[in-house]
Amino acid sequence: MQKVISETKKAFMTGNETAAWAALAAGAEVMYGYPITPQNEIMHYWTRLAPKYDRKFLQTEDELSAGFTTSGAVQAGVKAFTATAGPGNVLMQEPFGMAEAMRLPLLAIIQQRGGPSSGTVIYSQQEVTLTTYGGNGEGHRIVYSTATHQELYDYIIKGFNTAWKYRFPTFVLGDGYQAKMREPLEIYDPEERGIEMVKTYPLIGREGHIGENREPQHLCNIYSLEEELYDVVMKTSAEYEKISPEIVEYDENLCQDADVLIVTHGVVSRAADDAVKALRAQGIKASYFRPITLRPFPAKQLREAIAKSGAKKMLIAESAYGQLDRLTKQEIYGETIVIDHLFMPGVGIVDHDIITKVKSML
Amino acid sequence: MSLIKIALAGEGGQGVQSVAEILAEAAYNENKQTIYIPNFGLEQRGGVSIAFIQVGDTRIGAPKFNKADVVIALSERAVGRTAHYSDKNTLYVYDSGFSPAAEDFPQEAKQIIGIPAIDTANNELHPRVFNIIIMGAVIGLTNVVTFEAAKQALEHKLGHKFEKNPDLRELNYKALEIGKKMAEDSLQQEGVSHIG
Repeated sequence: MQKVISETKKAFMTGNETAAWAALAAGAEVMYGYPITPQNEIMHYWTRLAPKYDRKFLQTEDELSAGFTTSGAVQAGVKAFTATAGPGNVLMQEPFGMAEAMRLPLLAIIQQRGGPSSGTVIYSQQEVTLTTYGGNGEGHRIVYSTATHQELYDYIIKGFNTAWKYRFPTFVLGDGYQAKMREPLEIYDPEERGIEMVKTYPLIGREGHIGENREPQHLCNIYSLEEELYDVVMKTSAEYEKISPEIVEYDENLCQDADVLIVTHGVVSRAADDAVKALRAQGIKASYFRPITLRPFPAKQLREAIAKSGAKKMLIAESAYGQLDRLTKQEIYGETIVIDHLFMPGVGIVDHDIITKVKSML
Repeated sequence: MSLIKIALAGEGGQGVQSVAEILAEAAYNENKQTIYIPNFGLEQRGGVSIAFIQVGDTRIGAPKFNKADVVIALSERAVGRTAHYSDKNTLYVYDSGFSPAAEDFPQEAKQIIGIPAIDTANNELHPRVFNIIIMGAVIGLTNVVTFEAAKQALEHKLGHKFEKNPDLRELNYKALEIGKKMAEDSLQQEGVSHIG
């Protein structure tokens, strides 16, 4: 495959453009998609760039179809991805559920917009529940929540590898702000950075003969017997739990000694990071914890941060009405830290909002 | 330089997003930290369009902000829409060709200044370079980018058009200069210092 980026380059571009470049650099072979704001330009840039590098694109009739065609391509061993947002993300949960059932290594980029329903075309963090647990199953999927264009680039590359190494559907969760804003980043060839791209492989139609020199591939999303399904879900759950410690990622700052621990994810963590610095400068011992993987959640690390910081209070801030809050609480069940929240559904959060809230808590 | 936050607002089609994009690119080319995010909605045409630009020396946090250092409102409706981005530290600039209702103006501002951008474009240059006059005004009001960097970014963005019609290059550069001077004169008249 032709190299896309010969040497590391500085770039100043939108998040959607970043996503298209990252998928190219990761060696994605095809994108299936259906337009929806604010992710449209991922498709636009991909369709502009893909032909130059012998990659493919198909605009399907809707998001259901985009999700299923992506699911089909990865079964044939093709590195495929899709991107969507809002109501499109709702529709794609059906194919994503199938991808969980059949352990399909697809990658989906989600740029959250306001909800419910068509909501706004702008921004939110209201697709957390949907993206982590949106299927009719147990949430056997991997979700990275990015905060910067550099991370969008890095985690899309990493996301393809995670998907193909572990065979769980993988999501890169951005938002409308990340999609549309321009900021600097470095784009690079992963191999040049020592990142080995996991080789793709067909899940069906493999070489050899079943029973002679290979095992049968049984990719199934429906079972006749309750017990059959039970066995499969239990096995998948056990595998998911086993690999989770290898996948979990988080970021923390000043958690050694704090009075208040601020938990945020995605683009809001940029404001939280600034808020912590400003609060410290004013003598208020604030600290910062950010799950990068929302699935699997860094529960152990957050519990450790609570313990080592000695913080008596936690603030969960999000551009949604309690989605990160719910996710966090279920993961740290039993902790006695007092949890307060700043819920601003569908609108941005700036450092000032967090600073004011923290001061009101102390 | 400390972080400078600018909100540029106008009618869809006035070109505020292009100006913001060129300014942000110029700042990036000068190795500054910068973020530009458009305010985008459902409308393809019409409606008030706002561009949020931040330029600084250190990594920038949230992409949007509650209060700006400089607000530039380029239509009557844009004044009402952007008043809440102004506080006591904000230089609030509007086009003096409009007379917005008194209650539409911000409650708080360091200074409210009217500049004759639309008149200048129409009478002295050409309506099509109105947005470049505004770009010049931003440079006259703040030091987010140098004049040279702005020219280079303009060349980068519009170079293909300049190739076809070299007069356009002169027209745009002139617009940039006039805008800068217009802003500097306004600051001087009001006795307000340059931002940043």
